[in-house]
Amino acid sequence: MGSGQLSNQIRRLRFEKGEMTQQQLADLVGVTRQTIIAMEQGKYAPSLPLAFRIARAFGVPLESVFQYEPIHPSQ
Amino acid sequence: MNRLEKKAWVNLGGVLLCIVIAGPGVAIMVYMNIQAGLPGLISLFVTGLIVGLITYRRNIKSWAQLDEREKKILQKALVWSMSVFILFMYCASFAVFYIVGAKNPIPAYILPVLFLSGLFLMIFVQSAALLIQFAKEHYDG
Repeated sequence: MGSGQLSNQIRRLRFEKGEMTQQQLADLVGVTRQTIIAMEQGKYAPSLPLAFRIARAFGVPLESVFQYEPIHPSQ
Repeated sequence: MNRLEKKAWVNLGGVLLCIVIAGPGVAIMVYMNIQAGLPGLISLFVTGLIVGLITYRRNIKSWAQLDEREKKILQKALVWSMSVFILFMYCASFAVFYIVGAKNPIPAYILPVLFLSGLFLMIFVQSAALLIQFAKEHYDG
């Protein structure tokens, strides 16, 4: 199985959602603000349940928030 | 500073306090043999027990309040501290073997001293590992 790069649109979606603050999003999904910061900076890959909670907080599908780019795609 | 960082600093302080309280007693015990050092052993046992109970209660309480990223950071720190504990016990056991010799007896107080020293080292490493991870996070931006 090849490794890949996980990116996200959390920062953009926050601003599109009425300039939601990191703290507001953190409270909505039940994590700390530091976790939101780490995710926005691409330093932390969230678990699947947290990823779904974030997508639901923005009211968009999961794929609109998180993108996965495989570095070595399997044939 | 978040909850885990505060906890790490408190644990570091606790370990240093234990060394200050119990350290002289243990030193007396080791250099003057068991009779003179018995109060040291008791103080080490009592301080170890108190710190252990406080740490356990705090861990149980705080675990539920942590989010998944903080739990991962704590788990990594626990793995580091357990690894150091095992390595310490391994090295300490063989050190006693080589210092005292294969067929010579060792004083019974060596065993709890080794074990409690390992526990203190474990708490120290866990706290340091937490602080290093958070410092690295702050440094990276």
